Amino acid sequence: MSQLLTVEGISKGFPGVQALDGVNFELDRGEVLALVGENGAGKSTLMKILSGIYTMDSGRIAIDGDEVDVNDPKVAQKLGISIIHQEMNLMPHLTVAQNIYIGREPRTGPWLRDGELNRRTKQLLEGLNIHLRPSQVVGDLTVASQQMVEIAKALSYDHTKILIMDEPTSAISISETQVLFGLIRSLRDRGVGIVYISHRMEELRQIADRVTVLRDGQYVGTRRMDEVSDDEIISMMVGREISAGYSSRQDVPAHTGELALSVRSLSTKKLLRDVSFDLHKGEILGFAGLMGAGRTETARALIGADPVSGGTVAVNGKEVRISGPEVAVRLGIGYLPEDRKRHGLMLEQDVAFNVAMASLSSNKAPLGFLREGRARKVTDRFIKALRIKTPSSRTMVKTLSGGNQQKVVIAKWLARDCDVLIFDEPTRGIDVGAKEEIYKLLNDLADEGKAIIMISSELPEVLRLSHRIVVMSQGRVTGTLTPDKADQESIMKLATQNIEDVAA
Amino acid sequence: MKSYMKATVAVLAAAVMTLSACGRGNDAASSGDGGKSNLDIALVSKGFQHQFWQAVKAGAEEKAKELGVTMTFDGPASETEVDSQLQMLQAAIERKPDAIGYAALDPEACVPLLDQAKQGDIPVVEFDAGCNSKVPVTICKTDSKTAGALAAEHMAQLINKKGKVAIVGHSQINSTGVERRDGFIEKMKKDYPDIQIVDIQYGDGDHLKSADIAKAQLAAHPDLAGLYGTNEGSAIGIVNAVNELGLQPGKLTVVGFDSGQAQIDAIKSGVMAGAITQDPMGIGRCTIDSAVKAVKGESMDDVQDTGSFWYDKSNVDSSDIKPKLYQ
Amino acid sequence: MTTQRAEDLADAGTQSAPGESVAAEAARSGRFAALGQGLQQVLAFGTLIALIIVFTIASPKFLTITNLSSILLSTAVIGILAVGTTFVIITGGIDLSLGTAMTLCSVVTGLLLTDAGLPLPLGVLGGIAMGALIGLINGFNVAVLGLPPFIATLSMMLVAQGLALVLSGVKPIYFTTVDGFSKIALGEIIPKVPNAVLVLFGLAILAGIILRKTILGRMTYAIGSNEEATRLSGINTRRWVLAIYTLAGVATGVAGVVLAARLNSAQPQLGVGYELQAIAAVIIGGTSLLGGRGSILGTVIGALIMSVLINGLRILAIQTEWQTVVVGLVVLVAVFADNLRKRRAEGGGHR
Ligand SMILES: Nc1ncnc2c1ncn2[C@@H]1O[C@H](COP(=O)(O)OP(=O)(O)OP(=O)(O)O)[C@@H](O)[C@H]1O
Ligand SMILES: [Mg+2]
Repeated sequence: MSQLLTVEGISKGFPGVQALDGVNFELDRGEVLALVGENGAGKSTLMKILSGIYTMDSGRIAIDGDEVDVNDPKVAQKLGISIIHQEMNLMPHLTVAQNIYIGREPRTGPWLRDGELNRRTKQLLEGLNIHLRPSQVVGDLTVASQQMVEIAKALSYDHTKILIMDEPTSAISISETQVLFGLIRSLRDRGVGIVYISHRMEELRQIADRVTVLRDGQYVGTRRMDEVSDDEIISMMVGREISAGYSSRQDVPAHTGELALSVRSLSTKKLLRDVSFDLHKGEILGFAGLMGAGRTETARALIGADPVSGGTVAVNGKEVRISGPEVAVRLGIGYLPEDRKRHGLMLEQDVAFNVAMASLSSNKAPLGFLREGRARKVTDRFIKALRIKTPSSRTMVKTLSGGNQQKVVIAKWLARDCDVLIFDEPTRGIDVGAKEEIYKLLNDLADEGKAIIMISSELPEVLRLSHRIVVMSQGRVTGTLTPDKADQESIMKLATQNIEDVAA
Repeated sequence: MKSYMKATVAVLAAAVMTLSACGRGNDAASSGDGGKSNLDIALVSKGFQHQFWQAVKAGAEEKAKELGVTMTFDGPASETEVDSQLQMLQAAIERKPDAIGYAALDPEACVPLLDQAKQGDIPVVEFDAGCNSKVPVTICKTDSKTAGALAAEHMAQLINKKGKVAIVGHSQINSTGVERRDGFIEKMKKDYPDIQIVDIQYGDGDHLKSADIAKAQLAAHPDLAGLYGTNEGSAIGIVNAVNELGLQPGKLTVVGFDSGQAQIDAIKSGVMAGAITQDPMGIGRCTIDSAVKAVKGESMDDVQDTGSFWYDKSNVDSSDIKPKLYQ
Repeated sequence: MTTQRAEDLADAGTQSAPGESVAAEAARSGRFAALGQGLQQVLAFGTLIALIIVFTIASPKFLTITNLSSILLSTAVIGILAVGTTFVIITGGIDLSLGTAMTLCSVVTGLLLTDAGLPLPLGVLGGIAMGALIGLINGFNVAVLGLPPFIATLSMMLVAQGLALVLSGVKPIYFTTVDGFSKIALGEIIPKVPNAVLVLFGLAILAGIILRKTILGRMTYAIGSNEEATRLSGINTRRWVLAIYTLAGVATGVAGVVLAARLNSAQPQLGVGYELQAIAAVIIGGTSLLGGRGSILGTVIGALIMSVLINGLRILAIQTEWQTVVVGLVVLVAVFADNLRKRRAEGGGHR
């Protein structure tokens, strides 16, 4: 029997960028193939070609040995190819059910059958162990829940033969990841071939059978997972030797003890109850918890992006009232949002425009004139420092790869030079090499005396970088740990504490 | 939800403010020296802001006072708002006045409403422009075709019965616009074969638009002998065009329609040769008079022409014309 | 700024070590970027030239100094309104109160100059201040009360219309007693170029500089691209929205004065429908109704396209009804062409 999917010599150029250059790979039935590469290596582009969103310039795609012409997403669907996109493609005003079955709604003649739609969706979600109501409006969901809707949507096609997942776990937490992996295994056992894109090595170890590496749009090679080390994969990706993820934890305490920020009893109507913590100069304070624990909500309430129902905030020992993000920034507090597309970027503007956004007011000439030349210079500096892969500072952000978009958000806040920086999932979608650079950058910022809050769902990252770790659950702080006393287990225990209290 | 409420409140507030702005037009005559007769007459006009309608209103008020009846006067903000005028008519019918005076913006849309008035036993008289309905007992208006012909007659004389003429109309839909144009064209065709009507365009009575139209017509036909504007806005547009192009007064024969300060000034300065005026106060008086007669069941002619009049430099200040010029 | 250009990327090629040669590339692509930025304007400008050529061939009466001067003058009022509202549209908003607010401003100028007998400059400033006030209120309703711009300005459109009638006593106000007032629009500092046209171009240049070179302009684009991201960047978006609507209001005030000067009178019943013409000019000029994209140059060209088109059709004695149809079609084609261009630039092989 021939291969499930054979891809040969695929090339694709965008104006000025050769995104793919003669890429090959093969996918077997009942196999999970990991696809890895640096940000901008061409992974998403390759997958978009397979799912009919882009047309390739040259190359050949065969399914079950027969050459196919995937020139339209509809064709891809018919051929049994489903995709979970890196950038979410849901319609925010529609419900979960409407999104999942868009274009395939159960109906009688012209009449929609909403009951049937919701029943089907409920069944699907239950089968996938996803706890969402079919009638919830997608725009109201957190990024993580939206990601779960995307996954459910891709899995709702019954005859899926090939499932493509483009960084499906970048927005969800460990427990959901485990649920997802359970699903992947059962699909694999049913003979579905799965292409799995991720920047997280430990995930690939858990789930993948083989790994294919791309670099700068070119095919580098394919290895069996059990025959290759992390370092080997990474050096295939970046084309040189680097080692990642083995540096030790922070010394405790590293900071001077001078208070930068002190939060007492912060509460919101929706979720937060009496959130209190201190942040010192030179400290990296990690925030851990499950999705929906209230970490992002804490950050947003703190900077005044959402209304607060009680509590106090003191900056440098002085109590302040932060009525909106502009006040927060004036006080030297910057927030990098987790949802870069919705809250972080102007996709239709260029890189320099985005990088300049947070520092405009401190960087203007008399009469409100902009200092364009200076802004471009700053941008060029960050493009280099963060290795943002972009043709120039005048390139529209929309055309950058996901990871490079994330770097643009980081550059925006580094350009502003805040005393307190709140990073919400800063390494989401960023490749291994770049992650190391961001870790180093966070450490350098802390060494300079900046105070940093790092919200992350990746426990290894939290454990490695934080001087102290705040764990939240259901809108409350359930504990604060020092890294010497913390491990995955103790954090998970605190992160699920309230839930157990309720259950008991 | 909350912002939706805010939005509603804002819209309501705006609506109230606008209505109160309109309202100022209505209250003037309502008190009268009431008591003698308790007749209540509702006039629904084509507009109220234009000077012409203000003059109609003044005439009506004068007559209402004389006959001791109370009246209201309503009209939409612009003459394109057929719909809101119908709503005003509807409101008037629901008020159950003793009689309704109505000037139709659209001759068809009003038919069902007038039937409704008939069912409610409210007699209807029309003014200025009629509805395609058997319900109204009479109409007080300027016969616009006659008026258009009068304009043509004077234009022909002034340009020595030959040459090219163009028209800046104010509407290709409403009856005054159509009839003033057709009366003019028919007269020229019939009596003055050497006069050629080269272009007709419509500027909605908008001064600015009409000026730009007149300029384009003058550019296309540099040898134009005369320009005819079918209402005040169109006529003033032509005057503005002449001024902006710096044409010598009198080189082009401009014939206007209706009156107003600017037109009177233009006639006195010689930019405009003359214009046709109607007797809007006469229309107002006739309307109230007929309405009262209709209530009493007296019979009247189907059409009562209140007349159209030529005025120029020579007679603009005469006692004949002066009362018919509305400012 | 927002258009993704082939030229912009042309020199980049495949990069083996991203970042290392970025500075050099940026420098190289810079000159292309300037060119690419203007692509939409080039397109619109081409359309304008094509129209002029077509009309010149169709009628020998079209391309005369006098007629060109007439065309420019007829562009002035709509053009000034369009320049102001370009800012609002780039923020993703819309202003329906333009036309009647303009009328209200001309009425206010009229009252100040005739009834109150103020000196000319004060009357003019008063009209402009009225425009600014209306803009400020619009901005307040949108930014602070959070009303959708469509509704906020719709109600303002009615309020302004009503107030113009109330204040004027439902009668035109003539400026015959005010010496030199009509010179504001009809005087000719440059022969054959009416002053109203100079006002338009002066204002357009100023607005272009504000939009491209100042923080106010930057905020206009930013809010239109992603208001929430702008806010989270530590920017008081409310304040800027307020400023932007006020600025647009100033342009409305200027339009009101120019209109009054051209007619040498304030006509309280005028103005309805002017807002749609202004918005049409902005859209023909390539500004996106979705926000985040647009330019003043485009708007000016858009306004010129409209007036050239209408003037040409009038000279050819095309029926008024058909003129309207043609203008409608041109708006449609402009938007369609812009969409097509955008899709090409972004999608690569996207079908
Ligand atoms: N629509 C587009 N127009 C122009 N260039 C594009 C477009 N889409 C992608 N590119 C470019 O193609 C290259 C590959 O992008 P792609 O999104 O495939 O990377 P990726 O491997 O998925 O990266 P990441 O890990 O960051 O998601 C990048 O240089 C990107 O800038
Ligand atoms: Mg990608």
